[in-house]
Amino acid sequence: MAAKPFVQIENVTKRFGRFTALDRINLDISEGEFLTIVGPSGSGKSTLIRLLVGIDDVTEGTISLNGTRIDTMPANKRPTCMVFQSLALFPHMTVGQNIEFPLKLRGVAPADRRTRAIELLALLRLPESYYGKRISQCSGGERQRVALARALAFDPQIIVFDEPLSALDYRLRKTLEKELKDLHARTGKTFVYITHSLEEAMVMSDRIAIMRSGRFEQIATAEEIYSRPISRFVASFMGEVNLFPVTGRADGTPDWPAGAIGARPGALAVAPGWTGVLMVRPELVRFLDAGQAADFTLSGTLTAEYALGSRIQYSVDTAAGLVTVERPFETRLTAPVGTPVTLGWDRAAVHLIAEAADGTA
Amino acid sequence: MRQVSRSTRIALYLYGAVILSLLYLPLVSVGFASVSKARYLSFPIKRYTSEWMTAAVTSPTVHELVLTSLKIAVSVTILSMVIGFFGALAFARFQWRYRGLFQKIILLPIFFPQTVLGLALLIWFSALGITPSWKTAVVAHLVWIAPITTLIIAIRAYAFDPALEEAARDMGASTLTVLREITLPLLMPGIVSAGLFAFLLSWGNFPLSLFTTGVDATLPKWLYSRMVSGYTPQIPALGVLSVIGSTLLVAVGLVLMRWMRPRD
Repeated sequence: MAAKPFVQIENVTKRFGRFTALDRINLDISEGEFLTIVGPSGSGKSTLIRLLVGIDDVTEGTISLNGTRIDTMPANKRPTCMVFQSLALFPHMTVGQNIEFPLKLRGVAPADRRTRAIELLALLRLPESYYGKRISQCSGGERQRVALARALAFDPQIIVFDEPLSALDYRLRKTLEKELKDLHARTGKTFVYITHSLEEAMVMSDRIAIMRSGRFEQIATAEEIYSRPISRFVASFMGEVNLFPVTGRADGTPDWPAGAIGARPGALAVAPGWTGVLMVRPELVRFLDAGQAADFTLSGTLTAEYALGSRIQYSVDTAAGLVTVERPFETRLTAPVGTPVTLGWDRAAVHLIAEAADGTA
Repeated sequence: MRQVSRSTRIALYLYGAVILSLLYLPLVSVGFASVSKARYLSFPIKRYTSEWMTAAVTSPTVHELVLTSLKIAVSVTILSMVIGFFGALAFARFQWRYRGLFQKIILLPIFFPQTVLGLALLIWFSALGITPSWKTAVVAHLVWIAPITTLIIAIRAYAFDPALEEAARDMGASTLTVLREITLPLLMPGIVSAGLFAFLLSWGNFPLSLFTTGVDATLPKWLYSRMVSGYTPQIPALGVLSVIGSTLLVAVGLVLMRWMRPRD
């Protein structure tokens, strides 16, 4: 028999009164993994990690760690630690006292606590002089590091993060994302991170779990989620994506209910009666010059362009709806808005998502 | 800050002076009255004396009055801080079924006229067969003061991030440790200012004490009875000493609160 997973969440349901926040959730987490749970607000991701650390109790189901049930243990007995969205640093204590707090609770001698706190300050690249500082004297990024040091102090087996970067400005967030990934590599701890930004998830995680209305929609690597999403919801979660409804005709050729797309014969075989969407990422759609060919072609009118820094995005109005095209800024089009254009992309750029006839996944 | 014109500045100074004199002139006149040699208050004061001050400080009656007032005020302060602390947690920190009702009814005694409250309590005590004394006065003061301390501490509790308690618990703290290490220290400035209010309100309270102290007399109660019959400048002298005492107490309290606030 295969070894039990490090963390095993089995059939977990959480109800608040009549509202079901989590509906029979199953999730395995490996030791040392960086798992990110992504979902819109209200999808149940915060609820799930609060159950994991023990702030709230499960309604049904079990959570085990190394084969031992932990869902019945009170929060203060679980080997888990949470980094809160507000960071929850104690304002009446110094940086040092904050980091030492979990050690003090465990009866560690003052001298040893201090040694450990200074070690952690170094690990998080904070100068030793911060030991005696007040929390109010620290900047946003420094507070983040203090909160991480405190979470690492008592050597918990799992560290859980509740969107700790969401309150920071863009640049600092980008820096800390990389630092967090680096910290994960250096400590080898199991990190469970939640965010509503798939972009943030992709930078850091080994695996991403996409959550929607109290259930997992897809659990996979970043690469998998980006290029082979299993539903329209997952596909559109990460910014711009072009989705075209497709159905299979009796002869196995595609039919386009939202508007015709030119497909090279044999480029796309669809089983008769098959219903779903064809997905193509904006960066994989090209502008075709006269005489150029592609597996799929679609003509329309250029309606808008948006500069996104290193990239530029175009909106093209076509018979199949508004299509988004993205390309590096250096390859900016010379054609003005209003110009007729032909778009094209290849079979390799396409991902098909099957759907039930009523549009649900 | 906005720059003000010369005329506005003069108007502001005048306004300030009027307000201050309205507030403090009576106190100043009491001060003068306490050092007047004449038995009756009249201005200008012809001859000054410190004999009434001395009498106020040395009189055994006054010592007993101060002792009774102190016993009541100190008991009320301590009890109302404890009640206010837990009351504030119920008021602001915990979600429970009857919280809305609790928040409303706890405020009611503050809106009750104190004389009516005092009379009601006196009737209640006698119905229960309790002889009024300084102890019943403590209960009476608490009925009026504990809601105030609850409110003061609740304001502080509202500004409290619940994640702080959850974080402490998550890191291994028991319920009692969370209370001692996190909740109590963070609410402490509110608790101290509530205590200051409680002491001052109890120390100066007259209407509740009048009805509920029985044979024991507090300072305000005695001052009133002497005002009605048998006025001597010892009365303003005591008033002045009481104000000085309260001011010192407030000063100590403010220093204490400043010392407890995280320095930034």
